[in-house]
Amino acid sequence: MKRTIPLLIVMTLGFLFVLHVFIPSKESVEFFDWFMKWIKVIGPFAIILGIGSLLMVHGNKIKRKAPNWGYSIVTIVALVITTLTGFIWGIQEGTPYMWIFKNFNVPLGATMFSLLAFYIASAAYKAFRARSIEATVLLAAAIIVMLGRVSIGQAITHWIPDITEWILNVPNLAAKRGIMLGVGLGMTATSLKIMLGIERTYLGGGKD
Amino acid sequence: MKFSETIQKLDRRYIYIIVALAVILPLVFPLGFQTYMTTPVENLYVHIDEAARKDNKVILLDFAQAPSTLPELYPMDIAILRHCFLRDIKVFTISYFPQGAAIMEMALAEVKEDFPEIKPNVDYCNFGYRTWGMRLPIILGMGDDIAKAVETNSEGAMLENLPIMKNIKNYDNIQVIVEITGSTAGLTYITYARGKFGADVGVGVTAVSAADLYPYLQTGQLVGSLGGLKGAAEYEELVETFAVQDIEFSKKNARDTKWRSNQFKLSEVPYKYKKARIGMDAQAVVHVLIILFIIVGNIGYFLDKRKTKQKYVK
Repeated sequence: MKRTIPLLIVMTLGFLFVLHVFIPSKESVEFFDWFMKWIKVIGPFAIILGIGSLLMVHGNKIKRKAPNWGYSIVTIVALVITTLTGFIWGIQEGTPYMWIFKNFNVPLGATMFSLLAFYIASAAYKAFRARSIEATVLLAAAIIVMLGRVSIGQAITHWIPDITEWILNVPNLAAKRGIMLGVGLGMTATSLKIMLGIERTYLGGGKD
Repeated sequence: MKFSETIQKLDRRYIYIIVALAVILPLVFPLGFQTYMTTPVENLYVHIDEAARKDNKVILLDFAQAPSTLPELYPMDIAILRHCFLRDIKVFTISYFPQGAAIMEMALAEVKEDFPEIKPNVDYCNFGYRTWGMRLPIILGMGDDIAKAVETNSEGAMLENLPIMKNIKNYDNIQVIVEITGSTAGLTYITYARGKFGADVGVGVTAVSAADLYPYLQTGQLVGSLGGLKGAAEYEELVETFAVQDIEFSKKNARDTKWRSNQFKLSEVPYKYKKARIGMDAQAVVHVLIILFIIVGNIGYFLDKRKTKQKYVK
């Protein structure tokens, strides 16, 4: 039962939505609108589930004094304080929530992302080698695009931005479209396998 | 240690110091490099600008971003909002990211400082934060009735009672949806808002995602795009050159750097409106530095390879 009922729900809803898209009718539109209202109800429950799961995971870590359990305290305290400030004073400009956001969240997030520049520079120096013809072509394209996306490229010659645009508009576009078509076909095949009950790994382990 | 070995085994901390200097110095002492214009950015500017000449048209801005992408995306938020407020274009803002909602508040407050005549719920409306699960129902629902799909603004007021909603019904009244995003690249809007209702979609993305957009730009599924800090710098420049000076856009003038530089003095532009252009100086220096790193690294690699080969032959 634990696997059969979810499987039946997936199969029924999956085929109903396919029918709605390919053979739309008054009934299917009404069903779709009705289902969208249900999604509005499910959304907030997902947040409750997420918070519950976060508290359980980090609560257990603190209880067991697992490695780095101190960070779990920081996570829970941050969750409680941010949520409370948002609920009590709102999230508009000038509220404590916005103060926390500007002074903690923004610098921390920006710092994490800006580290990428250092890693990229280090990787470019240590690992980006012209080991084969393919790697050399990639390397040449990367150098042209890097120069072409900044003003120094145009200062050298207008050919660099022009070639950059060509690389992005022709070989890049062709490769991206090919990948997208492949991904699209893969998604269709996997969806069909799920709807037909061939692919069941999403149901997790355990007995029926 | 031999030269080639020194190059190959250079401590990465030296690289980090050089990169840090290459980023910090141009930010402290701007080099004033001029940004050249690209078609996707010009197209998005023109498409948004057209709303100023049409009745009952608004721009929908979706803030799908987090603080990690702020340096690249925030200048886009500011530049587009400034453009709309300068040209009296009505704006709707929404975010399905909790952090995006805070960024939206920040951006609106920052631009509003210079436009005291702009009134909330009259000239713009902040729809506020909606959970991710609500995204699809809202995007599809807006095709029929925006007020019904979104229901309330960020302060809980019913949309149907707000003055801005007069004569605004659905995507027919939205000039363009602009998703400024660090992840989704406008795909949901392309699939549902454009695919089902024919809405025009544009995006602002981080530089790493910019290459993904070209298939959609070619087919016209995206009317335009801003790619990374360069896209933001171009948009800032277009707003400064045309919207601030109240001049009609002209592709010829937009591409003439001399003409552009005669329209305004960058030193007189408030810092918040030129962040991307200043940032582009640092980006230009770092790009050149990375190219030099690649070249030096490869010289070391080939010297090392040749030595190994000679040793093997002996």
